[in-house]
Amino acid sequence: MTDILRLALPLTTWLAAFSAVYGLHGLVCSPRWAQAGLGPETGRPVLLLAAGLAIGLQIALLLALRRSRLAAPSPLIRRITTMLAVSALVATVWTLTPVTATTTCH
Amino acid sequence: MFAGASAILVLVMVLLWLAFRRGPAVRKGGPAAEERDERIWIKGLGLAFPLATLAALTAYGLVVGERLLPRPGPDVVTVGAEGRQWAWTFTYADAPGRATGGHPATSPAGRPVDVAITSADVIQSFWVPRLAGKLDAVPGHVNILRIEAWEPGDYAGLGAEFNGPGYAGHRFTVRAHDAAGWEAFLAEETP
Amino acid sequence: MTPSPGPLTALRRHRALTRIWASDPGWKGWFTTVNHTDLGRMFIVASMVFFAAGGLLAMLIRAQLASPRSAFMGPETYAQVFTMHGTIMMFLFAIPLIEGIAIYLLPKMLGSRDLAFPRLTAYGFWCYALGGSMLIVSLLLGIAPDSGWFMYPPLSSSAFSPGPNSDFWLLGITFVEISAMAAAVEITVTILRYRAPGMSLARMPVFAWYMLVVAVMILTGFPPLILGSVLLELERAFGLPFFRPEAGGDALLWQHLFWLFGHPEVYIIFLPAAGIISTILPVLSRTTLLGYAWVVAAAIALGVLSFGLWVHHMFTTGIPHMGLAFFSAASTLVAVPTGVQIFAWIGTLWKGEPQLRLPMLWILAFFVTFVIGGLTGVMVAVVPFDWQVHDTHFIVAHLHYVLIGGFVFPMLAALYYWMPHLTGRRRFFRLGETAFWLVTLGFHLTFLAVHWVGLLGQRRRIHTYDGGDGWEVINLIASIGGFVSAIGFALILLDVAVNAAVAVRGPRNPWGAGTLEWAMPMPPAPITSPPCRRSAAATPSMTTPRCPFASLAAKAIWAIPRATGAKR
Ligand code: HEM
Repeated sequence: MTDILRLALPLTTWLAAFSAVYGLHGLVCSPRWAQAGLGPETGRPVLLLAAGLAIGLQIALLLALRRSRLAAPSPLIRRITTMLAVSALVATVWTLTPVTATTTCH
Repeated sequence: MFAGASAILVLVMVLLWLAFRRGPAVRKGGPAAEERDERIWIKGLGLAFPLATLAALTAYGLVVGERLLPRPGPDVVTVGAEGRQWAWTFTYADAPGRATGGHPATSPAGRPVDVAITSADVIQSFWVPRLAGKLDAVPGHVNILRIEAWEPGDYAGLGAEFNGPGYAGHRFTVRAHDAAGWEAFLAEETP
Repeated sequence: MTPSPGPLTALRRHRALTRIWASDPGWKGWFTTVNHTDLGRMFIVASMVFFAAGGLLAMLIRAQLASPRSAFMGPETYAQVFTMHGTIMMFLFAIPLIEGIAIYLLPKMLGSRDLAFPRLTAYGFWCYALGGSMLIVSLLLGIAPDSGWFMYPPLSSSAFSPGPNSDFWLLGITFVEISAMAAAVEITVTILRYRAPGMSLARMPVFAWYMLVVAVMILTGFPPLILGSVLLELERAFGLPFFRPEAGGDALLWQHLFWLFGHPEVYIIFLPAAGIISTILPVLSRTTLLGYAWVVAAAIALGVLSFGLWVHHMFTTGIPHMGLAFFSAASTLVAVPTGVQIFAWIGTLWKGEPQLRLPMLWILAFFVTFVIGGLTGVMVAVVPFDWQVHDTHFIVAHLHYVLIGGFVFPMLAALYYWMPHLTGRRRFFRLGETAFWLVTLGFHLTFLAVHWVGLLGQRRRIHTYDGGDGWEVINLIASIGGFVSAIGFALILLDVAVNAAVAVRGPRNPWGAGTLEWAMPMPPAPITSPPCRRSAAATPSMTTPRCPFASLAAKAIWAIPRATGAKR
């Protein structure tokens, strides 16, 4: 069962982070954001910060799952875990790149 | 895009065909061969190749998408479009009180037009194929679509989201005027 | 059961267990059975019946669109026909067929006696039968749902669909989803807890990995739709304001809930098909799957990634560009694990000696069709292109390439591959090859034409069109192709029926496969009896002491991971 956890954790974290950033983007673009006294130009730094956090979390997970104390006993599962942790990291970088460039609220 | 897609399709077909044509190969099995196969097929063709192509494609799509965004400008005209079951109503920011029912919607040629799209009842979609992509009309939301007609003339428009039995006939026309025609249109008496 | 006197030999135990697990004799057995072999078959047959119904509706659609003058349905009827075609194919055919195959095969592959909760399997089947027949009844009465298979409110809410049509969808489909949830619980628990002793996760047949991913996806993906359906039904029945903007609701809420389910659904349909290919293709190439670890990782990655792109069905709803960019990036990303699998399969073909048997023909048809569908899919993931082709027949063609190429063709491969297992007979009459060519050629003729007319701007879901745009010839070609493929499907049915009834008995394990389901008598007994059971407990326990079978298994049966495991 722990093996299933090892396999599922990195990508699930990606999904959570991705949805959270999308939600945050909705918040940044809503009228409430301005009402709270935050200008539109604060939006991007906040989003960048969130994306950076997500990427950091993925790197931490990848490193943790390769540590021998946490790694799976079976070599095959260990290998699959690494592949999945790397793909979660790639997915995080790939899907959150738009925060650096695209127009925020149009 | 179509050329690239066809090239990939041809590649896959050729690889498949070769798999059957090669005949029983004299190959030694074992971990080394397995390792090599994984490197070529999975890491090379399965991972690196799609990643590179897709990165390029996504970036391209985003750049084009940015260009199509409605940005404020000095000569932007705003037209309102309200869809309802099987008709559209158009309103004009430059001529308050004016509304053209059904068709044609009127717009100036050569100037960017922001169409503010909404719906009075169910979800509709506003689409003038020759001028821009489609954008949905959602009740309770106003979506802005940037269109620009280079030449004066009539452009056919369609509702493009199924909205009930009258869907097939849910059409309108956008009539683009030259500058003088547009002024004349705005100056017409409000009926 | 009273314990039989004397020592409990394997044979005697098998007989005693068979008595418990077999269905009751006669017609009563159909309604009371709880064993996975029979319920699996019932799921498969029922889904085939719905496939025939959906296919019939498809033929009505193509007849209607064949030319502007051949329109014989009014817009109201046409709306019911295309809505029901989509609904039947997605909910009543594809998902239940997968469940049926998994229910039939998994215990046999995993070496377990039955599924974890046999009564739950039966419950699922009857929920499905009830929900499905509700929809069919509504179709026969002419009050079928008519707002498209994704039922966007407000069109489907009481203000614009006052009749009972939408209610049939909301209630019927909810039953079908409960059935899917039941099957998914069943599959997850069985795979995780009831494998034969000695079969660690790393030694599991690859099909079980795929089904594990699919079952978890169903458990996560279906609740949003059940929630959405319940909310919409509450709104319709009691006037609650969930989706009505004038009362503070939002119509887009439905779209989010629906596609949060709807996109994973596409992969829920594709992954089992991929699992079947990963199982069959190596066997027919006389080798092992190339990159077992990679394929498993790709399946898991695909399963999770597919939850991150629901908004790509809503690209035209006016979402800010950065939001679109997130989902456009995620949509192109899912093509990567798919690519990994495709090339792992081609590499497997290269590694072995592929044989052009009938299931292999279907797999080849899958490759060609699915790759085309995938490529057009990548195109519509590019936002500006999607703005143009969204809701045209281009999308219709794309989705059929993916669904028929990525699901129906592999299922036909599976049908011909596991036919000897189901019936215990060898295929004798060779109608299957003719049918293959009719279906594939007819299909490509139809949907290549549909791509084309979509690019010319024909919208989907219109009940007729004006002549003169050059659309008539293309639509006529599409309709002819549609009828040719329908004849092909009918021929397959005939082929299966004839061969099941009269063909000669075949040998065990005709393909020389390595998975456990072939290590049992065919056609199968009501329960699976792996040779190492010690106790008569209905389900094996993971603590069963080592049996000779486990070491046998480690040597030969699950050879696939072993072969690649050597180097680690
Ligand atoms: C040879 C068989 C088939 C033919 C000729 C066919 C034909 C069509 C056509 C012409 C449409 C478009 C109707 C319209 O928008 O006006 C359509 C819609 C659709 N089809 Fe099929 N189809 C076939 C098989 C399938 C299968 C096997 C599936 C799924 C597994 C499927 C799923 C769908 C869905 C989901 C829609 C969209 C329905 C909607 O717009 O609400 N079809 N089909």
